[in-house]
Amino acid sequence: MTFQKQGASTPRFTLNCRMAYEAAALERLCQVVRIRGFRVARMAVERVDDQLDIQLILEGTRSIEMLKSQLEKLHTVAEVTLPRQPEAVGERERATLASV
Amino acid sequence: MNGAEQILNAFHRHSIDTVFGYPGGCIMPLYDALVDDVSVEHVLCRHEQGCALAADGYARASGRLGVCIATSGPGATNLITGVANAHRDSIPMLVITGQVPSGLIGTDAFQETDVLGMTLGIVKHSYLVTDAADIPDVMEQAIALATSGRPGPVWIDIPKDVLLQTSRARATPESSPESCTPPDLSDAIAMLHAARRPLLYSGGGISLAHCEDSFRRFAQVSALPAVVTLKGIGNAGKHHPDNLGMLGMHGSRAANRAVEECDLLLVVGARLDDRATGKLDEFATNARIIHIDADAAEINKLRTADLSLRGELSRILDGLADTLSARPLMINDWRQQCRQWHTTGGFSAADNDEPLSPITGPAFIRQLSRITSDQTVIACDVGQHQMWVAQHYEFDHPRHHLTSGGLGTMGFGLPAAIGAQFAARHSTVINVTGDGSFMMNAQELATIRRYRLPVKIIVMDNQCLGMVRQQQELFYNNRESQINLDDNPDFVAMARAFDIPALHIERTDQVRRGIQTILAYDGPMLLHVAISREENVWPIVKPGASNLEMIDESRASHHRKEQIA
Repeated sequence: MTFQKQGASTPRFTLNCRMAYEAAALERLCQVVRIRGFRVARMAVERVDDQLDIQLILEGTRSIEMLKSQLEKLHTVAEVTLPRQPEAVGERERATLASV
Repeated sequence: MNGAEQILNAFHRHSIDTVFGYPGGCIMPLYDALVDDVSVEHVLCRHEQGCALAADGYARASGRLGVCIATSGPGATNLITGVANAHRDSIPMLVITGQVPSGLIGTDAFQETDVLGMTLGIVKHSYLVTDAADIPDVMEQAIALATSGRPGPVWIDIPKDVLLQTSRARATPESSPESCTPPDLSDAIAMLHAARRPLLYSGGGISLAHCEDSFRRFAQVSALPAVVTLKGIGNAGKHHPDNLGMLGMHGSRAANRAVEECDLLLVVGARLDDRATGKLDEFATNARIIHIDADAAEINKLRTADLSLRGELSRILDGLADTLSARPLMINDWRQQCRQWHTTGGFSAADNDEPLSPITGPAFIRQLSRITSDQTVIACDVGQHQMWVAQHYEFDHPRHHLTSGGLGTMGFGLPAAIGAQFAARHSTVINVTGDGSFMMNAQELATIRRYRLPVKIIVMDNQCLGMVRQQQELFYNNRESQINLDDNPDFVAMARAFDIPALHIERTDQVRRGIQTILAYDGPMLLHVAISREENVWPIVKPGASNLEMIDESRASHHRKEQIA
C-alpha cells in the first residue's frame, strides 16, 4: 500500500456496501478504496445468501462522494450508502490502523 | 458441447468474426475448437501485447467489440499493457485467457498467475469461471458490459478443465440495453442563452457513444466555438469553421485562450484529464460548467459542474439542437473573436520550400494530410510524432485517428494499425510511428507479412526518445538522460527482412514522392523519414503548470535561461 502520512484531523467516514458474493469481491472493493485515496481503519463483512454486507470505516482527505461514485460503477456492487458524517481520527485509533 | 465450444457459440451469437490471439498450454482446448470453426477468423500476432493492441485498434476503427485470446501465465501477463490501454481509453474489449486446471490453482503450478487478482484495476469487470455451464451466461454478461454504458475491457479467465468440461447447452437470456429517462434540458438551454462566451469542449465520448452525427448537428446548429481533446479530434469534422482544435499541453494557443476567456464550458464526453486542463485551479476560471457524460463517476470528479446531464449522449445532443434551432444563440462577437484567435494562434507550420533542406515533423504531417484521402485511418504511436499528427493532420472523423490517449502506450501504433486494417479492409491504414515506439512491437511486421495487410508504416526517426529529450531540454536544464537511440537498426533493411519493401527519405524534396510511393504500392510498405534530433513539439505546457503558461519556440530560449539561473 502507498504510504500516506495521516494528519491528526484526517476525516473519517463510514461507508456501507452491498455486493455480490463472488471471487475477488473484497479485493475489488478494497482496490478501489485504496486507489481513490482512502485507507481502511475497520472492516466488517457478513455473507447474506449470495450477497456480502460490508461496513467500512475509512480515512482519507478526498471526497467520499467520489469514492461512492466509483464503487457504484463496480458491476457487482448493488448499493453504497454513507450513513455518517466525517469526524477526525484520534491518536490512539490511528495507531491501530489496518492497511489493506 | 464443451466449454471452449460454448465460447465459440457466443461469438457466433454476437457476430464476432475476427479475434486476435496467441496459443499456449491452458488455452489449447479453445484453439482445438477453432480448428473446425470457419466463421471466426483468428489472427495470430507475434506477441500477446500485439494481440491486445490489435483488438484495441480493431475496436476503435470499427466501433465493434475487440477480442483477444491468450494462455495462462506469461500469455496473460503479456496482455496486460494492451488491456490497460483499452481500459484507460474506454475501448470495448473481451479478453479470454486459459488458466491452469481448477485443482492446480493456488499450487504455484507451471504457467500459473493470479490473473483475476493482478488485473482488477485495469478492467471494467472480470470473471474466473469454475463451471462450464456458466460460460454462456458469463459470455453474455461480459459482452453486454464491455459494450454498454461507458465501454471497457472485460476479462474472462477459464481453467483448462472447464474449457474441456462438457455441459448441456441452455438457452441464453437476451441482454437488453440499459435505458434511462432523458434528462430535462431546460436549465442547460437557459445557461447557453445566458452565456456571452460559451464554448463547446468534446472528447472521446462522442465516438464511444456512436453519436458523431448528433454531435455534428448540434455543433452546426449551436455554432458554438469548439475545442477538442486528443481523443476528440475529428469530432467536428475537418470543415467546421469554429473548431479551434486540440486544447491542453500541446494544444493550440487559440484553443487554450478560448477556454481561458469563455464564460460557459459545455463539456461533452470528456473527463477533464490533466493533459487537457493543465493546472486545474487555473483552468476555465471564468466559466460555469455543464458536463454531459454517460459515466456518473466522471461528473464532479475533478471540477464541480454547475449542471450535469447524464444519459444517452445522442438524445441529449439532439434535444439541445432541436431547441436551439428554434431559438439560436446570439454570440456573433464571441465567434468572430475565436475565429481571429484561430487565425493567429492555431497550429501553424511553415512549409519548407527549400528542396535540399532537412524534413521537419510538422511539415511532413501536413503534407501527408494533404495527399491522403478523408477516409484514411492513422494509427499513431506515442511521442513527438503523435502530437504532430494531432496538431497538423486534418481528421474528418474521430474513428480515423487511433491514438493511445490515457495510457500513452509506446508500441500501440503498429498492432493497432493491424487491427484497424482488419476492421476496414478496403481503407488506407497508416501507422505513423517514431523510432522508439516502432521498436516496442516491431515483431508485428511478421503479422503484416503473414496476412499481406496493406498497412503503410511511416517511421519518423530522430534517433532519440524525442519527447523525453525535449522535456529534459526544457525542464531539466538540458541534462539528457538515456534518450539516445543512435544505434537504431537499419529500418529499411529490417522491413525488407520481413518481405516488406521500404524507402528512406531525408530531404524536403523527397517527401511528396515518398508518400505517394507508399500509398500507390499494392501491399505493405515502410517509409523511413530521417528528421532532426533537436526538433521539438510547440507549443508545450510544463506538466502541472497552467495552460496559460504555454511555451512556444520563440519563448523557449528565455525559458532555458530561466532554468539555468
